[in-house]
Amino acid sequence: MAASKTKFVNTVQKPVQDVPSPIASERFVSKAIVAHGVEMVFRSASELYPVLYGIDLEIQQGDIQLLMGPSGSGKTTLLSILAGILTPTAGHVWLLGQEITSMSRDRLSQFRLDNIGFIFQGFNLFPALTAAENVEVALKVKGFKRADARQKALELLDQVKLSDKANQLPRDLSGGQKQRVAIARALAGDPQLIMADEPTASLDSYNGHAVTELLRQLAKESNRTVLIVTHDPRLIDVADRVAYLEDGVLRS
Amino acid sequence: MASIARKNLFEDIPRCLVAQAGIMFAVSLITIQKGILDGFTHSTVRLIEQSTADLWVAHKSMEYLELTSSLSVEQLLKVRGGNGRPGVKGVEYAEALSIHGTRWRAPNGQIENVRIFGFNPDGQLFGHWNMTQGQISSLKTPYTLITDKANISNLGLKQIGETGEISSLPATLVGLSRNTQSMASSPYVYASLESTNAYLFGGLSAKVNCKVVAGDLQCLNEFEADSKTPSKLFDPKPPRRLNLSDPITYILVKAAPGQDIQELRKNLEAALPDTRAYTTQEMVDRTRTYWYERTGVGFILGLGAIVGFVVGIVVVSQILYSSVSDHLKEFGTLKAMGASDWVIYRVITEQALWMAVLGYLPSIILCIGLGAWTVATRGIIILITPATAFGVFGLTVVMCVGSALFAIQKVTHIDPAIVFKA
Ligand SMILES: Nc1ncnc2c1ncn2[C@@H]1O[C@H](COP(=O)(O)OP(=O)(O)OP(=O)(O)O)[C@@H](O)[C@H]1O
Ligand SMILES: [Mg+2]
Repeated sequence: MAASKTKFVNTVQKPVQDVPSPIASERFVSKAIVAHGVEMVFRSASELYPVLYGIDLEIQQGDIQLLMGPSGSGKTTLLSILAGILTPTAGHVWLLGQEITSMSRDRLSQFRLDNIGFIFQGFNLFPALTAAENVEVALKVKGFKRADARQKALELLDQVKLSDKANQLPRDLSGGQKQRVAIARALAGDPQLIMADEPTASLDSYNGHAVTELLRQLAKESNRTVLIVTHDPRLIDVADRVAYLEDGVLRS
Repeated sequence: MASIARKNLFEDIPRCLVAQAGIMFAVSLITIQKGILDGFTHSTVRLIEQSTADLWVAHKSMEYLELTSSLSVEQLLKVRGGNGRPGVKGVEYAEALSIHGTRWRAPNGQIENVRIFGFNPDGQLFGHWNMTQGQISSLKTPYTLITDKANISNLGLKQIGETGEISSLPATLVGLSRNTQSMASSPYVYASLESTNAYLFGGLSAKVNCKVVAGDLQCLNEFEADSKTPSKLFDPKPPRRLNLSDPITYILVKAAPGQDIQELRKNLEAALPDTRAYTTQEMVDRTRTYWYERTGVGFILGLGAIVGFVVGIVVVSQILYSSVSDHLKEFGTLKAMGASDWVIYRVITEQALWMAVLGYLPSIILCIGLGAWTVATRGIIILITPATAFGVFGLTVVMCVGSALFAIQKVTHIDPAIVFKA
């Protein structure tokens, strides 16, 4: 599965067959992430909760894009939509030239598996698995064979400077170390897109800085596109662009 | 994903132990109920199975081994032939088996219902038992009996050589057999046909002592038994030989070599009106079915097994469900990454299988140990056949994997969006 993985970085110039939207254009297709007219309304039994209004956003391949804004402004909601986890009420999203908002659930899952790495504020590591095993699980889900997965997991941990902690359980790691394991996991399968929600919020300033630096390095070395939702002003230094979300509306 | 299943399971050792205890409870309950049922039904037919007869000739009213009307010695002789008369065609040899309910008085005066089996100690068709003490041939001595080792305390006995009383006649224990007693019946005692016959007629009157003098039965009133010390007081004459009109219960038949059994059955039934001939297997089935239906034992023990199964489902469901609930974030993360639900189902199912195996193995060992103990100490058989062991394992797997469905539906409803909640 991993071997047959499509590398969109080399194919973005090719005509894309399955862009059904009339507003699709060469301009959208050449971007890593494009949102057009995205709206999100949550609904409960009796009430509607509009959260996002007409979001337009374009992110270049290889950029580190920050998404900032006050609490409750809809940042996580927008990130979930851009990552193909939530379906917007209206609007379209293209990732690496493919419109994800029209994909079936299964195709979307496969697309995420092939192209997106996730990083979370709460790390979301399996507490019973060692650092290396947590990375291995992601690799196996992405189709690596058992032996390859082990080898690759150690390489990825080496990339985040955690080789010496490979056999430790999450509870024996510091917050910064846990987040580095999560980053190694996000890199499993070499995705083109990294989506991170508050990756430094649970970390002290030293670890926050280390993780920030690591994210920048990983983005620049491999020309990955990184979208980071954050409150953390330290991250502004490493970002190529910053977008602000306020009351569901985007201001650059 | 092997390691996730196993490691999630062992992550919380106390919870894991609760789960194992629950599964062990369920597995043991099911195994023991089934084992007791099998042990019970097996015990009711052991005497029949141990016989080497090809056919059992019984009165047509026969319900099961211990419930039937009598045949007579005359009918046995008719089957055998002799004295110039031909026997039934196809019979190699035939032996009598006589079964009666009677009352036993222990050396200490305690009384007990017993079932006495009279047979020929020199015969070949009945009495192939494992003897723990004594020999079957000792029954040739008048007024002696053998019983199962498990019965001796019920009969108020401690060792062979002790003498009790049946129908005011002495009865001396000369041997102990093993694995012959039915769990459903009064204690079985085994004696020669002649002793059995004497006990049967001696019992007609409690206060009258009957003696056999020159082939005639003489009942005398002068004898007064002191029930406290019976054995010292009698000096009965040996039992008389059976005569033509004496009752017997079954005629056990060995077919001549190469004889077709169905044909022999027809010959026997034609020669002896009002009888029916059964193969040993048919006797087994009839007796087993009788106990099954009359006692409702299958239903009662089945109910116990169902309770075990339900308890197992509840415990395993609960444990798997809480294990999944504890790892919603991580499973949600796998789903967010794009893993299909099947990846997670596999993890949960594997966890369930681990629980099944880890719950099953100690339980089955426990049950086998328990069975060995009960049979040694109480004479209660918990029969765990390979089929039972295998079947219970299958049931345990079904129970655990079935319980996993409950947890699996929770996974199906995980919203991957939860992964971003701090
Ligand atoms: N599933 C949902 N159903 C209803 N309302 C929701 C749901 N998810 C989010 N919301 C609402 O949408 C709004 C935006 O939530 P969101 O989590 O995107 O904010 P945020 O900008 O990430 O905030 P924070 O900085 O605190 O993480 C909030 O008012 C929230 O209550
Ligand atoms: Mg948020």
